[in-house]
Order: sequence, then structure tokens, then C-alpha cells
Amino acid sequence: MFTKFFHSLREKGLHVTLGEFLTLQEALEKNLCESSMTAFYYVSRMILVKSETDYDKFDMAFEECFHSAKFETEITSQMLRWLDKSDLQQLADDEARSQLNELEDLQVHMDKEEIEQKFKERLRDQDSEHNGGSFWIGSMGKTSFGSSGGNVGGLRVGGKTGHQSAFAVIGERKYRDFRDDRVLDNRQFQLAFRKLRQFSARLDIPETELDIDGTVNKTCNNGGCLQIVMQKPRRNAVKLLLLMDSGGTMIPFSALLNDLFQAVHKSNHYKDVKTYYFHNCIYSKLYKTPECENGDWVDTDWMFKNLGSDYKVIIVGDAAMAPEELYSDTGNYRGPNGGLAGWDWLQLIKKHYKKVVWLNPKMAPGHAPWREAETAIKGLFPMYKLTVDGLNQAMTKLMTNK
Amino acid sequence: MGEEKTGFRGSGDYVASEELMASVNVAIALKKPLLIKGEPGTGKTMLAEAVAKSLGKSLIIWNIKSTTKAQEGLYVYDTIQRLYDGQFGEEGVDDISRYIKLGKLGEAFESDEQVVLLIDEIDKADLEFPNDLLWELDKMEFYIHETGRTVTAKHRPIVIITSNAEKELPDAFLRRCIFHYIDFPDDALMEEIVRVHYPHVEETLLKNAMEVFYGIRALRDIRKKPSTSELIDWINALQLGGIPADQIKSALPFIGVVVKKDEDLETVRHNANSL
Repeated sequence: MFTKFFHSLREKGLHVTLGEFLTLQEALEKNLCESSMTAFYYVSRMILVKSETDYDKFDMAFEECFHSAKFETEITSQMLRWLDKSDLQQLADDEARSQLNELEDLQVHMDKEEIEQKFKERLRDQDSEHNGGSFWIGSMGKTSFGSSGGNVGGLRVGGKTGHQSAFAVIGERKYRDFRDDRVLDNRQFQLAFRKLRQFSARLDIPETELDIDGTVNKTCNNGGCLQIVMQKPRRNAVKLLLLMDSGGTMIPFSALLNDLFQAVHKSNHYKDVKTYYFHNCIYSKLYKTPECENGDWVDTDWMFKNLGSDYKVIIVGDAAMAPEELYSDTGNYRGPNGGLAGWDWLQLIKKHYKKVVWLNPKMAPGHAPWREAETAIKGLFPMYKLTVDGLNQAMTKLMTNK
Repeated sequence: MGEEKTGFRGSGDYVASEELMASVNVAIALKKPLLIKGEPGTGKTMLAEAVAKSLGKSLIIWNIKSTTKAQEGLYVYDTIQRLYDGQFGEEGVDDISRYIKLGKLGEAFESDEQVVLLIDEIDKADLEFPNDLLWELDKMEFYIHETGRTVTAKHRPIVIITSNAEKELPDAFLRRCIFHYIDFPDDALMEEIVRVHYPHVEETLLKNAMEVFYGIRALRDIRKKPSTSELIDWINALQLGGIPADQIKSALPFIGVVVKKDEDLETVRHNANSL
């Protein structure tokens, strides 16, 4: 039952398994939905969805499948089964359309309340499955009620329709904010940064940890007299270089960037973290503070010399430079260009560092040729939107070998 | 959900939404663990207490910490005690079962009547922790190697698990659970919750306090959004302090009860006019 619902959920990217779907059938069997559409919505959601970030996807799939069953009426699961004729949809569509024209004049004038009233009456009287008739509730029929039918002004019971009508609970889409592609907060930042881990015991640090296996072995070999073996603790070997765009078009995102900055520095498990700032694009100087004041800077060349290619680089910026800021060797209106255009400096960064990602708080979805600079930079560095999803993808990108 | 008069219906001091009650009842009917997520302060832990109370069952709480191992919930073999006893020639040292101490899960299985088992903040533990409990929660039994005994649940406990979403839980584990996300209560539900705690709260005081509370939550720059328990504390403070209702918005008395961080206090003061 409801196999279409199952497929629709999977299409929306929910990893519903057969086991969970069978659990839902069991719940229907035990009459836990009590023949109410709203109860069915909640029961199927609590069984099939395991994260609030997926509620929105579920809502969309549910709306698609049970589109206009929006009013709270007692529809028995028996009746829903009669109406579940998704295989016949195509057939019904053609047939319905041909009937539509004749019937339109006749029945579309019934007003909505009248239909709802009649629907309830007929619901009470109906005791068997009806398909193709013109009185009872059933699929492919000509009455005002049922699924896959041809009456334009009628009410649908389950099934699919092309006509618009909102389902109250879903209509609000109140779980949209929980989607994991929304812009994120500090705690989630920190969790994402935990992905950047590469444990290594081959570091230059003292042997401070008790090696239990080694101690047991040595002690046994020593005839039972205790002999302690120490080892180097395993530490995260990841080094991080954070380059942040500051000021100008980035001001609306300052709270977000602040959070990102905090998260990086709270994640104290890195071997080293360096942060520098730039204004709009990277040129020959990198600023030490977000205020980007002249003089308070380091040479970008100095960075190349001192921070080796094993640093993982995260560039944060909106990549919204004007074309001359990116391509002209006099395009930096705040400081020195260093004889190269911003684009060339970015190329140098790509050449020097093995792992670079670009996080963009206002990246356009998909292909956006009108954002010239953004499109160009996307070709140079993998660019991700600054959201939970994007940050996780970016961290994975930094850790994997292509 | 009308019919299930026998199921969980909330309790005297715990206000649950319809969906939450439904999820408890579905979890009981389908014999699956109920996984509860939600913002801090939305009453995840209190739910288990309320369920136990309203169904008249006793509650066993297993608090999870970052160091908790799945094994501890089943049983612990106290070898050190046995060694001590052996040195002093205590009676019954050869009886290993004397040194097997059942954990919280084991306790729930061995109970003579059905209990509610709360596994609190499961996400605090190791990533592998939930996976280690799959078999035990599915089959409701475990095996004690030292004595060769299998502990089987006499009555399947009602298992409620809470998570703060600090870590992703493994899929295999999630598939076996009924999931419910506790929404932050809306105005109406919040009013009901406050009234459960303070039935005689003054009308305008409650109204003004709630307006300020939701106003603070809606501020964009707020770092830690105040939760239900903070509102309740605040209303208590306002009542005890005898603050006139019309001063709440202008003076923001005892605002430190609601907002805990210095930066947030600053933000709230800054935006005091728009609250």
C-alpha cells in the first residue's frame, strides 16, 4: 500500500528503507492512524523520518502524494486502499480529460461546502470499493469525490492531482529552517570542523602516554616484573589556514563569520591555525585583523614561504569582486597590488597549497553566469555555500584525496 | 488522537503536544524505542518522567556521559572486589554471579513489572555506542559471558532515548527507532506550560513577559536563545519580586535570569525598544 509514497520519499532524497516502510504498514494494521489523515501524517513521519532536517523533504513528498486531502475527515484505511490506484494513473488521466469537458458545465458550479457536506454523507453510506462509477467515492469516476477522477470542482481523497490546494499542516512548511542546507550556527560549525582530523603519532612530542599492550608484553617477557613502556600520544596533524574577506559586501555576514572564527578557535585539536583577512580579493598583503588597516599586514609571499603546502586552506568570501578588482593589476583600491592581478594571486595560492576550499555565504544556487567573479573563482577552487551542508562537504573535500 | 484512552495523555505537570503523545503511544504499540530530539529546555528528559507517572510505571534512568560504554548498561563484572574477597578468604568467592552487577538496561530487563527506561543524552557517548546496543534493544536480551547466563526481558520496557544532536547517530540505530522532534512551544502551548507551574499567574504579567521572551528569541544576534525553563524561572522571579506588569517591558527586571551571556545582555539592552 502507498508504494508511490515510498518511491516519492526516496526521490526527495530520504533514505527510507523497506524495513521502516513495513513498520508503517504494521502501524496501519494496528490502526494507529485511526483513519485520520493528520494522524497518518504524524505516524508515517515519526516512523520514516529520523532527523528534523529531513522533515521538510518529507512534507514535500507527502504533499505530492496526498495533495488535497487537506480537510480533517474520517477516511478509513480500507477506503484509502480502494483509492490507491497509482498504477492506473496514466490511464485515468487520459480518460478523465475527455470526460472533463462534458462534465465541467454540469458539476463545477456546486460550491465547495455543498460538496464537502455530500462527501461526508456518502462516506457514511458507502460500504464497498467503487471504480469508474458516477455516484460512490472511488477512483476514475465522475462524481465530485475520489481520486483520479474527472470532476474539476470535486474533492480528492488521497491519490494525486494537478490542481492546487494546500494541506494545512504541510502548507506552512514550518520545518524548512531545519533543513541542513540552511545557514548555520556556532555549535554546528564546531561539529563540522571536527571532521578535519588526521591522527598521527609521528610528531615531535615527548612520549607521555602509557602503552598498555607494550607494557604487558615487556612485563611478560621480563618474567612478571613490571616494566613500563611509554608512547607518543596520537595528535591531530591537521594545520589550518583561514583567509577571510572582511568589510564591504561582507558586513551583513559579520555575525556568521564571527561564529565561524569562534568555532575554528574553539576546535583546539589542530596542530596549528593561522587566520588572515583580506578585502574583496587577495593581493600582495594579508591583514592581521578584520579591520584591514594599512600597515598591519604580512606579505602574501611571506605566507607562501612560512606556511608550507601541507596547510589546509579555507577562504571565506562572497566572491563578488568587480571585474577590474579581479583581473587588473591595479585593481586593488585599498592597498598595493604587488604587480599582479587578484586573479594571479589566487592562482598562486592554488599552486602553492594542495587543499583549498572557498566558502561563500551568498553563493548563487547552480550555474550563475551573471556573477562573473563567482563563476570564475568556482573554476579555480571548489566553492561551497556557508551552510551546514556546504561546510560538511567542504571539510570532506579538504580531507579526501580528490 | 481520540481512541487511545489507555495510552499516554500527558500528565498533571507536563504539557505535551498531540503529536508527542501520539509518538509515545505509537512507540509503545510498535514496541520500538522512541528517540526524542529538540532544543535544550524543551522537556525531553521530563517526558520520560511524565510517561512513567501517567502510566503508573517506575522509571529507570541511564545517564550517558562521554565515557559511558554500552557494556556498563548491561552488566559489570567486579573483578577487583572478587580479588579482595579472595585475599581475605571471604565466603562464596567461587560464585562469579555474586560479582556480576547488572547495569541500568539489565535492571530494566530483570524487573518484575514493565518499566520505563530513559537513556538520556545518548549522543554524548562514543559514536559506536548506539550500535553496540542494537541487538540488546531489538531482542531485549543479552548474554553474560562469565556465568553463561542469558538475561531476557521479563516485560519489554518502554524505551525513551533523548539526544541533543551533538553527534549524528548511526543509521542502523535510527532505522529501529520512532523519531520525534520537539518543536519549541508556540505562544498558546507556552502559556499552558507556564500555567501548569503557576496557576495563579497574573494575566498581564504573563502576557508582557512572554512578549519580551519571544522578542528576545527572535533577535538575530542572540547567541544562546532562552528556553522554556528560563521563562518559567523569570516569571517566578517577577512574581516574587512583585514587579508591576507594566514595568516589564520598559525596565526588563531580572533579565539576567533569561539571558545568561554578557554579549547577549548587551544585545538585549540595545534592542530593548523593539521588544
